Amino acid sequence: MTYSSSLAMNRSRYQARNQNSVSFKAQTRTLGPITSTISLIVLACLLGLLYLTQVTKTNAYGYQINNLQQTQASLKHQNDDLQVASARLQSLDRAKNSTVAKNMVSVAPSGTVQN
Amino acid sequence: MAPSSNKNITTKAVQRIRIVYGVVIVIVAIFGIRLFYVQVISYNHYRAAALSDQLKQYQIPATRGIIEAHDNGSVLPIVLNQTLYTLYADPVYIKDAQKVADSIVPIIGGNASDYANQMKTKNTRYVILSHKLTQDQANKIAALKFPGLGTQAQDYRTYPQGSLAAQVLGFVDQGGQGQYGLEQALNNDLQGKPGQVKAVTDANGIPLAATKGNVETAPKDGDNIVTTIELPMQAQMEQILQSDYKKTKSQGLSAVIMDPNTGQIKAMANYPSYDPSNYQNVTDPKVFSNAAVTNAIEPGSTMKVLTTAAALDQGVIKPDTSFYDPAHWLVDGFNITDIEQDGGARQQNIASILNLSLNTGATWMLMQMGGGDINTKARNAWYDYMTNHFRLGQVTGVEQGYESAAIVPSPKDNGAGIDLTYANTAFGQAVQVTALQMAGAVSSIVNGGTYYQPHLVDQVIRPDGSTTKIQPKVLKSNVVSPKVSQEMLPLMENVVQQHLTAGFTYLNFSSDYMVGGKTGTAQIAQPGGGYYSDKFNGTYVGFVGTDKPQYVIVVYNMQPGVAGYAGSYGGQPVFADLAHMLIDNSYVTKKAQ
Repeated sequence: MTYSSSLAMNRSRYQARNQNSVSFKAQTRTLGPITSTISLIVLACLLGLLYLTQVTKTNAYGYQINNLQQTQASLKHQNDDLQVASARLQSLDRAKNSTVAKNMVSVAPSGTVQN
Repeated sequence: MAPSSNKNITTKAVQRIRIVYGVVIVIVAIFGIRLFYVQVISYNHYRAAALSDQLKQYQIPATRGIIEAHDNGSVLPIVLNQTLYTLYADPVYIKDAQKVADSIVPIIGGNASDYANQMKTKNTRYVILSHKLTQDQANKIAALKFPGLGTQAQDYRTYPQGSLAAQVLGFVDQGGQGQYGLEQALNNDLQGKPGQVKAVTDANGIPLAATKGNVETAPKDGDNIVTTIELPMQAQMEQILQSDYKKTKSQGLSAVIMDPNTGQIKAMANYPSYDPSNYQNVTDPKVFSNAAVTNAIEPGSTMKVLTTAAALDQGVIKPDTSFYDPAHWLVDGFNITDIEQDGGARQQNIASILNLSLNTGATWMLMQMGGGDINTKARNAWYDYMTNHFRLGQVTGVEQGYESAAIVPSPKDNGAGIDLTYANTAFGQAVQVTALQMAGAVSSIVNGGTYYQPHLVDQVIRPDGSTTKIQPKVLKSNVVSPKVSQEMLPLMENVVQQHLTAGFTYLNFSSDYMVGGKTGTAQIAQPGGGYYSDKFNGTYVGFVGTDKPQYVIVVYNMQPGVAGYAGSYGGQPVFADLAHMLIDNSYVTKKAQ
């Protein structure tokens, strides 16, 4: 389509009987001041909403992080408790007083004589 | 209606509308100005007010490093961290104290009526019901959901081996600071560095991640320490000290077992001791100290080992030198004699100075350092050996709190009988030495002449997993020459043999092993000057090995109550028990066949 033919087509849309279509100009629609203002306000509100959703989402991640940190701390405490329990099981006192130790017979050491 | 009246009505309406508009504009302007004032002019004030409420700063505690020790090739933790809980109640919110008490007894034990009485305490909002609950117990109590009942987490140091090596380890006080022992000496390395969170928080105190300017610094956990202590050796040493404390009727026993070829301390203990997990119940704070490093005493005749080595190293005597011992020396108007007059004036030799523990012999060796007399040259030479060679009078730098430097008298003529003072130092009086200083000095004599720094840390393990192995640190080379070191070994072995022959049958060791030593019976100074005539400390220094000394043992027995010389009857039997322990448990490797 050429430029002139598109103009002709636009003109033809508004053609009606007894109208001077030569001097007819295509009507261009523009936004008035009130519409522009309202549109700007709406856009600003939308941006604000977008900002709020992003911030809320980020803060929600913050809560998740906090929960994970608490879980990590709890698991670490459990690990510490297990380490303590393991160390106590290997303590010399426990080994000395165990049933196995009590059933052992002490052997006179070779190489030394002691009064 | 006439056109002029319509026009009047319209004009009036327009005027009213304009007035309304004007009022609206004024109101909006007021709001606008106020908003401008609040949000622009007073921005800083309101921001500060909001932040003071919302901005929270927390410290994130660092995990304190743990301490481990060796156990026959493996490594076991001996100090750990554990989070335990304190159970508390707010009496204002406790409606039925007996019901609450009955509910918690199955979980934590104890007496229900005691708990109920505590929860009925008037005029307080906080009563502690129990300490050191486990996480499992805390969770069960939380599940009861009693208003006014709560638990508070607290970190504790835990000692799975009980009171083993208590004084070497020390403890951590309520403020998180290490006290005594390793905990104090290595506090900065063990405690790490806390982190911090500085952030705008919600009503529950949880940081809001979207806030600009949040600061979060991760904590730097403390280093873990692996000590040089051998746990079974330490346990057996403590058992021996406890037993010999009673047998010798002692007022305090200290012992050190050190590897003379590296400076590693394999066992170090004192009796009496304490339980570090209940340090707050100790009534006598003296028991917190590791006396082996804090308690400096006059060591008595064990000093003759150092005097002999110094004289040999200076070349003023030889191992087979003999001399005429007049049985007394007059120094600064005072007679120096022996504790026991062994046969009076006669020829003696170096071996008998040690074997018979001749004070006159030690004084004679000091004289040889001065060309035949105790003079400035002798004093300076002996002072040089005591301080620069054997490193007495200064801390060893061992990783322990409150280590004593002890005292070595200055050789300068003070016009108050300095020659007499120095004659006394030759046989271990008028000079103070800790058990560890003596161990370091004797080690440097028997190992070929190198002074290795006594140390307790074998490895440092950082939070990132990297490990640093601590290498032996030489503080002084050529303490004595290797030749002198070799000459000292049979002299000390001879002391043990002679004492065995004299009837101390517990000194009977197999010829597969080399065992040498020296007793010390030290007088105790009185506060106003002079010495007690009836109070003595018993000391012993010795070594055990096969082809070469593998362990140096030092024993300090404070005022043993048994009859006989404190060194022979207080220090020597403890040494023998420790030496037998090392041999019987194969800590000493046998000579190759």
